[in-house]
Amino acid sequence: MSAPVVEIADASFGYGGAPVLSGVSFEVRAGEAVALIGPNGAGKSTLLAGLLGLAQHEARVFRVPSARGEIGTLPQSSEIDPAFPVTLEQVVAMGRTPRLGLKWPGRADKRIVADAIEAVGLAEHRGARFGDLSGGQRQRGLLARALAGEPRLLLLDEPFNGLDHGSRDALLETVRRLKGQGVALLITTHDLDLARAVCDRTLLVNGRQIAFDETGCVLTLERVEAAFASHVIEIDGHTLATTEHHEAAHHHHHHVLRDDDAAAAPPR
Amino acid sequence: MTPIAALIDPVTPFSVPFMGRPLLLLLALAIAAGTVGVLVNLRRLEFSTDGLTHAVFPGLVIGAAIGGAAGLMPGAIGAAVVAAVVLALISRRGQPRDTAVAIVLTSFFSLGVALVSASGGGSGSLSDFFFGRLLSITWGDLGVSLALIGIAVLLVVLTARPQLYAAFDPAGARRAGLPVLALEVVGTVAIALVVVAASASVGTLLALAVVIVPTAAARALTRSLAAAAVVAIGFGAVTGWLGLWAVVQLAVLGVDAAPGATVALTMILGYLVALAIGAARGASSKRPAPAPSRAGVAS
Repeated sequence: MSAPVVEIADASFGYGGAPVLSGVSFEVRAGEAVALIGPNGAGKSTLLAGLLGLAQHEARVFRVPSARGEIGTLPQSSEIDPAFPVTLEQVVAMGRTPRLGLKWPGRADKRIVADAIEAVGLAEHRGARFGDLSGGQRQRGLLARALAGEPRLLLLDEPFNGLDHGSRDALLETVRRLKGQGVALLITTHDLDLARAVCDRTLLVNGRQIAFDETGCVLTLERVEAAFASHVIEIDGHTLATTEHHEAAHHHHHHVLRDDDAAAAPPR
Repeated sequence: MTPIAALIDPVTPFSVPFMGRPLLLLLALAIAAGTVGVLVNLRRLEFSTDGLTHAVFPGLVIGAAIGGAAGLMPGAIGAAVVAAVVLALISRRGQPRDTAVAIVLTSFFSLGVALVSASGGGSGSLSDFFFGRLLSITWGDLGVSLALIGIAVLLVVLTARPQLYAAFDPAGARRAGLPVLALEVVGTVAIALVVVAASASVGTLLALAVVIVPTAAARALTRSLAAAAVVAIGFGAVTGWLGLWAVVQLAVLGVDAAPGATVALTMILGYLVALAIGAARGASSKRPAPAPSRAGVAS
């Protein structure tokens, strides 16, 4: 069994006041993908921010990669100016910056950047202005930027949101390949099918940890219902809903719930 | 040489030192425009830069009070660096950047006014600093300005790659563990140094033009970052030279135009021309079905 890249025990995360998320104990091993699942405001984004040192934590055990560039991230959305004069290649090359510091990139760095662009299937777009790419292509470009840092741990925040089927399959394939290369992944998603497809274990949270185990064991009706207590979700064709927030059902489709998590986003 | 030839001769006027020095300074500022100015543009720091030009004021007053004319430059540098650091720190404390800039701008400027009134009125060299003394700068002034520009350009070039990341995606840069605050302080200090250097030529009130107009014009004409930097340098050099040339021609015609303001107006004219060219090009390139950027993607 491979070594854990992330080891967290009895942790709580927050921004100074009452913890947003508490009682968290989990690990992510090299080559393993862990799904992070919970309703809006459950503390998923706070947990990711905590792993990056951008939110506060208290924990009995807190081990995450700490060297620069060892954690790669793919945000849910980025406020990026479409007129910003950079090419896809320049954006992906930014992913080398944490490792390079003030050094200029050498031939090896350029090859790593080219490989990262290739890995997300955008090789023919590398000279395109980033703002001219489609939403899905930009998202893949940002994934390539994370890969260019050669991370040991990759945090993907709702990576499947808004992707068409082709991009979704390509991303699943990329996740599988990264696992094969020994990268540890923590993926937040509302899409339980996708969690089942690529995630070995699942961390289910809603203000506290509901469960952490093999994905198949965690994603049971009872547990998901407990996590999504005041929300609506479909699982295996059953619609789960509690008496509160019935109107929320109109906003959610299929297995995918929208995650705004604005309240839990790190302050600027 | 006939008067007509002298009128259109673009080189000879600059062979005399009092014209050669300002030209040299404006060329150096063009290089700053293509580096520090690009950073200002990409990070949308135009208002911060304006704030820095005002923040220099109390430094001038204190410098003049302590060392006379020789104290102006050190005073300006000190005030600009302090303002740059304060600016970076305030905006980090959760204040919106415009609020931070407005606070720094008004507090520094009113401090300057209070100091001037307390010390019994300003001196002639203070008005030089507001409106520039392009034609009367000495080799000593020029040396200090070139050194400041050199340091500023070096700071931006050395940190160019992380600066680009932080400008493009500040949240991403922070997640990636880049020292975003330190980058911001370094960038703002570089801007402040250029503002002080430009103050010696076009004056603090017009220094903004030298820093932001060339890149704004270059962005209207180019799509890539490297091209924007090169065009900004070329634009700054050409409009700086044209502006000085206009000053000479106006003097020949008996019009005593303020040199700094004439150079700034020349840059603005050049900017309008660049905007028109950019708009015309944008309009003509929209006719073929796929826009040029998309065509480039497909190839």
